[in-house]
Amino acid sequence: MWMYEKKLEYPVRVFRNDIGMAKFLMAQYGGPDSELSAGVRYLTQRYTMPTDKAKGLLTS
Amino acid sequence: MDERLAMLRTIQELEFVAIELNLFLDTHPQDQAALRDFYAVRNQLLEAVRRYEEIYGPLTATGCTPPHNQWLWIQSPWPWEIEYE
Repeated sequence: MWMYEKKLEYPVRVFRNDIGMAKFLMAQYGGPDSELSAGVRYLTQRYTMPTDKAKGLLTS
Repeated sequence: MDERLAMLRTIQELEFVAIELNLFLDTHPQDQAALRDFYAVRNQLLEAVRRYEEIYGPLTATGCTPPHNQWLWIQSPWPWEIEYE
């Protein structure tokens, strides 16, 4: 199901400490409103989608 | 920028376009212009990945790096070890 690629989708260079950015990233990893939680929900919701478009979009 | 980073950058740009077109086509599967763009960028992407992996090793464990007597997958740098400029 998953393929690991040894590269980022977008080039990011981490070069200093940034508490604000760190908090933002943690919020995206965990909690009910995180992008990660949303992504996992999409993968469950797609099983009950009635159309191919919706199945495809939730998978993509 | 060295040659490796430049090639990786090209792959990232092509893949970014491919992903965006993928998302668009999921909800617009008959859009002929988007389909043409998708196949054009996909062919460029496959070719760019093939050239990169031949020289610098696999981007995925099953990538198109030629057979080797060592396990190259764990030798090339991981994403967080690449010094993007």
